[in-house]
Amino acid sequence: MAARGARGAGRSEGRYEIRHWLSKRREYARPAPETESGLGPIDGVFTKCEACNEPVYAKDFEARYNVCPNCEHHYPLAAPERVRLLADSGSFEEWDGGMVAGNPLGFEGYEERLEKARRRSGLEDAVLSGGAAIGGRPVALAVMDFRFVGGSMGSVVGERVARTIERATERRLPLIIVSASGGARMFEGIYSLMQMAKTSVALARYRRAGAGAYVSVLTDPTFGGVTASFATAADVIIAEPGARIGFAGARVIEQTTREKLPEGFQTAEFQREHGNVDRIVHRLSLRSDLERVLGYLAW
Amino acid sequence: MVVLEFERPIKELEDRIGELRRLAGPSEELQGEIARLEEALEAAKRRIYTNLTPYQRVQIARHPDRPHFEAYVDAIAEDFYELSGDRLFGDDPAVRGGFARVGEHRVVLLGHDKGSDVKSRVKTNFGMAHPEGYRKAHRLYELAGRFGLPIVTLIDTPGAFAGRGAEERGQAWAISEDLMALAGVPVPVVSVVVGEGGSGGALAMCLADHVVMLENSYLSVIAPEACASIIFRDSGRAAEAAEAMKLTARDLEAHGIVDEVLPEPLGGAHQNPDAATEAVAGAVRRALSGLAGKDPAALVESRYERYRRIGAHVAGQPG
Repeated sequence: MAARGARGAGRSEGRYEIRHWLSKRREYARPAPETESGLGPIDGVFTKCEACNEPVYAKDFEARYNVCPNCEHHYPLAAPERVRLLADSGSFEEWDGGMVAGNPLGFEGYEERLEKARRRSGLEDAVLSGGAAIGGRPVALAVMDFRFVGGSMGSVVGERVARTIERATERRLPLIIVSASGGARMFEGIYSLMQMAKTSVALARYRRAGAGAYVSVLTDPTFGGVTASFATAADVIIAEPGARIGFAGARVIEQTTREKLPEGFQTAEFQREHGNVDRIVHRLSLRSDLERVLGYLAW
Repeated sequence: MVVLEFERPIKELEDRIGELRRLAGPSEELQGEIARLEEALEAAKRRIYTNLTPYQRVQIARHPDRPHFEAYVDAIAEDFYELSGDRLFGDDPAVRGGFARVGEHRVVLLGHDKGSDVKSRVKTNFGMAHPEGYRKAHRLYELAGRFGLPIVTLIDTPGAFAGRGAEERGQAWAISEDLMALAGVPVPVVSVVVGEGGSGGALAMCLADHVVMLENSYLSVIAPEACASIIFRDSGRAAEAAEAMKLTARDLEAHGIVDEVLPEPLGGAHQNPDAATEAVAGAVRRALSGLAGKDPAALVESRYERYRRIGAHVAGQPG
C-alpha cells in the first residue's frame, strides 16, 4: 500500500494546515502573545507566529514541518506529515487502515464528532500506524494526531497501537510511538479507560519477549491516559522542545489545589529536569536522533 | 450520618417517627400513626433505594460513612502485616498494603485508603494517591511475583492526585509502570472496587484476573462532574453524564468489563458495614480459591486475552 502520509499533505492543503494549527493552538494554549490582526496568513504568503509574533514565510513554515524559522516554536504536526518527517521515503506501509470507532455507549453526538473529525483531518481516527524504515532499519511506527478529537484515546487508538506493538513483537522490530493526546476519549467511557490496560498488556508482552527497543516520542500536548500508559512505559523517552507533557492539565491542577504553578510547568524541559524524559530533540533532528538510538538498541 | 439529597424523604419520615415517639411516651394514643409512618418509611426506602440512578450510586460510593480500607482488611484478612514506602521518595498513606492471610491463602493485600474521620481523610488525601503511592504498589506487585503470593487489591479512589508535586515526581510514569507490572505478574490478581473507581488511578490497581464490584461502586474514565463540564460545558449536568457513561457495576458487568457484582445492604454499604465487608471477604476467598494452582504463564496469558479483546472498533484490514 502506498504511503498515505506522503499523499495526504499536498501543497494546496499546506496553507490550510498552518492556519488550522495556529487557530487550534489558540484554543488550548496558555496565555500567548495575541497578534493584532488575529491569526493566519497576512497576505496569503506570510503567516504570523503566535509565539514570537514575527511574520513567517508560509512555505518556510511548511518546509520546516511547522517549526517557526524565527523562534523555533514547535507547532503540532499532522500524523501524515510526521510520517513523512521520520520514515525513509516510500517506506511507510499503513496497517489497519479503515478501522473506525463504534459508539459502544450510544453516546449522543459522538458519531457527529467523529464524522467532523474525519472530514477535517482526512484520518479515520487519532492514530496512523504502519511499518516503515528509518535509516534503512525496519520499524513499527504509530503516530498520533491531535487534530482528531484532541488526539484522544478510544478503541481505535488502543487497538491500532496494540496491533502495532503485537506486530513489532512477532517480527522483532523496534517500536516507535509518537504521542499527541489530550487523554481519554470520554465518549467511549469505560472502553476508553480500558485501552490503557489493552496497550499495557501488549507492551508488557513486547518487553517480556525481548522483541526490541521501544522509543517513545512525546509531542505537544501529551496528557492523561496516553501519558499514563504506553507513552511513558518506554526504553527511551524523547520529547520535542516546549511540548507540554503531564498527567493532569495545568488548569485542573490550579483549580483543585489553588496553587500557582511555576513558569514552564509541564514543559519537556521541566520533565527532563525532573528526570522523566531522556532527551529533548528538535523536530528537524528527530529522524537522525532516532537513527542514532536505534543504532544502539536495534539489531 | 450524612444524608444525601435523594434520601431526604426517608430522613423526614424517620424524624417524624422519632418526634411522635417522643411525644407519645408510654401512651397508646399515637401508636396507630407511628405504625402508619413506619410502613410509609419502609415503602419509601424500597422505592428510593431500589430505583437508584447512576449518579445516586456515585453519591453512595462517595458516602463518608461507607466502610473503608481498614474495615475491609479486618473482615478479609488475619494478621495484616503492613509494609511502607516506595524506597524512592516516601510513604503515601493513600495506598496501603502488606502481607495478609485470607483463609488458607497467603497474599499481598493492598488498597486505597480514604480514611474514616476528618484527620485521617486529610492524611490520606481523600484516597488520592501521589506517585509514591503507585510506586509502593509497584514494589508490592514485584514482591508478590517473586514470592508467588496472589495479589488482592481494594479500589476506592476519586482518582490519582492532580497536583504540582505529583506531576514533578511523574504521576503518569508511576501509573504506566503499575499497569506494566500487573500485566506481567505471574500470580493471581483479584480486585474489588469497593467505592470509587476513578480513572487511571483506579486502573493502576485493578488490571486483574478477577474483578469484583460492590453494587453501588463505580468505575469510570472521568468523574461525572468533569465529564459534564467538558462535554456539556456544565458541571451541573453530572447526573446526565453519569447516565451516559455507563459507569455503574451492573452496566460494567453487562459490558463484560467486570466479572461479579456484590449486592449491598438496602441503601448502601454504610447502612450495614459488616454485611458489606463480609460479602467482599467471601468474594475474595472464592476468587482466590478459584485461581489457586493455575499455571503462572497461563494466568498471564489469560490476563492478556482478557484486556486485549476490550474495544469498540469496526473493521480494519490486517497489515
